[in-house]
Amino acid sequence: MITEKFKKTILDELNLDDFDIQDETTADQVPGWDSLNHINVILAVEKAFDVHFKGIEVLKCKNIGDLQKLLNTKLDQK
Amino acid sequence: MSKKRELEWDRWVENAEKHPDKESIIHWTAGEEPFRWTFSSIIKAAESFAVGLKKKGVQRGDVCAIIIRHNKYFYPIYLGISSIGAIPSVLAYPNPRLHPEKFRQGLEGMSNRSGLDWVLTENVIADVIEPLMSKKGSTIRGMFFPLEWKKDLKFEGKDLENIEQIRANIKDTDPVLLQHSSGTTGIQKPVLLSHKAVLEHVTNYGKAINLNSDDKIVSWLPLYHDMGLIAAFHLPLAFGIPTVQIDTFEWVMVPSLLLEAISKERGTLTWLPNFAYNILANKVHDDELENLTFDSMRMFINCSEPVRAKSHKIFYKRFKEYGVKQESLSSCYAMAETTFAVTQTPPDKEAKILYVKKQSIAKGVIELNGNDENSRTCVSSGKTIDGCKVRIVDDKENDLPESYVGEIVISSVSLFDGYRNYPEKTAIALKDGWYYSGDYGFCLNGEYYVIGRKKDIIIVAGNNVYPEDVEDLVNHVEGVIPGRVVAFGEDDEDLGSEQISVVAETKISDEAEHKKLKLEIIKACMVYDFNIKKVYLVPPRWMIKSSAGKPSRKANRERLVDKREIIKWS
Repeated sequence: MITEKFKKTILDELNLDDFDIQDETTADQVPGWDSLNHINVILAVEKAFDVHFKGIEVLKCKNIGDLQKLLNTKLDQK
Repeated sequence: MSKKRELEWDRWVENAEKHPDKESIIHWTAGEEPFRWTFSSIIKAAESFAVGLKKKGVQRGDVCAIIIRHNKYFYPIYLGISSIGAIPSVLAYPNPRLHPEKFRQGLEGMSNRSGLDWVLTENVIADVIEPLMSKKGSTIRGMFFPLEWKKDLKFEGKDLENIEQIRANIKDTDPVLLQHSSGTTGIQKPVLLSHKAVLEHVTNYGKAINLNSDDKIVSWLPLYHDMGLIAAFHLPLAFGIPTVQIDTFEWVMVPSLLLEAISKERGTLTWLPNFAYNILANKVHDDELENLTFDSMRMFINCSEPVRAKSHKIFYKRFKEYGVKQESLSSCYAMAETTFAVTQTPPDKEAKILYVKKQSIAKGVIELNGNDENSRTCVSSGKTIDGCKVRIVDDKENDLPESYVGEIVISSVSLFDGYRNYPEKTAIALKDGWYYSGDYGFCLNGEYYVIGRKKDIIIVAGNNVYPEDVEDLVNHVEGVIPGRVVAFGEDDEDLGSEQISVVAETKISDEAEHKKLKLEIIKACMVYDFNIKKVYLVPPRWMIKSSAGKPSRKANRERLVDKREIIKWS
């Protein structure tokens, strides 16, 4: 389940006022989230939640729900 | 005495005979052990694929489009096509953002122009390509999935004889590859290059960068781009040195992969577009650099978009403690039409930096200045490599002396013969053996500095985007006044590249509706995988027209970006 803070972090990074993000939403469906911005979105999430993702972990995420799960795991480990 | 005819295939076989067990291509995939082709094993695999291609009916001179993701068999498939005298042409695999219909349209435009005969791809996108083949007038004769072929196909008996006979008749002036310039439907310019052009380029460019048998190239560049295809694929294969190939899609997600590969493989050379220096310097965590060293690197070669001194500076500052040497920061001016490189800075010196009075550039004769707000920083792209000549010319094509700004025109032993099936574009670009690049620059003390473009092309992270393509999409968005749209490049200092901005006239004046319209414009451009960074909405008749009666990109860009004009809605 996508949390409000996680969604807001992504939308802020992409300069979007609002966009519906669900677990199954993929990066390519979100306006502005292209390959060049991908790294910025990841860094913004890391900064907002004070966590650090490994590159290979991010590569394994198939959709935004997977990224949320990865974030939750990191937060649980803190 | 005339030189013996040599094909690229001959060179590859010679390398395999001389160094059968030397590594040729190291195929990297994140989180996996790299797959390592040797010079002999890749030739053997290429021969297997050649048999398969022959059996499918591929003939000498046929153009074979390859649309395959990062896969270890990509390389022998490419070589196999070449071994039977057919012409490989690497095309970008459609990414998920690109609408299937737009991908099909792009491929159709390419097929009509380039005369693609066969498509070698993956089963998963067959449905997208299939309708093209049955279309009236289509040049595409068939589609194969070579990754599914049995890899134990072998040359034997008649197969071997037939293929050797085909190769015996190939001339070194025959085409060895076909590249496409960027762009979308119908405006890609196909460039055919011969065996001779590519091999001469390997010799001349190899000399310019002191290429030697201990070198090892590391690259994440896509092979549908000239920098990836020539510098990081043909060059090492023909010269007989290893190249590490990283998946482009994985690199953009995890930029540290390049650094990891350089360190583990002890790489010595890499080519990067300018934005990559910023990404690597700014977006890689310290812990991803643990135990890595880049002291093996001889050259980081900045190429394919304007070189920025600041990008070199931040890159060096970030990585000097990991062994990056200042003199390894190099640059190159290159294009598909000349096979690749035209100029190159020396291997053991950092690319020279000049501070030029901004006003003098506008006047067309550069004057040097101190580094202050009135100066523009220009980075040298080096001197011409052997086999190339460069002139700087004015609007009337008269030669200009050193320090004068003009169009860069080039002649080269590795120059293309013209765009395939595109005489009108060839006539504009190629005159009396000189290629008119459309780039502006100047020469000082024998070194060339590229400072702008004649055409309105936007270069986003090394990729050319034609504003017409963006404008065409935005023109169809409801709420935008058709024909009253311009797109241009806007500098993104953080990225070290340009990003796309759009200006569109609309009758809508409500602010909330503006937000919706901006989102619709961004979404409309996503179908072609164009990412619009900024949308400026302006009222009807706001835009300045050019003398041709169309909205002027330059004038409207100046108002919004340089003068930061405030848009008033009455």
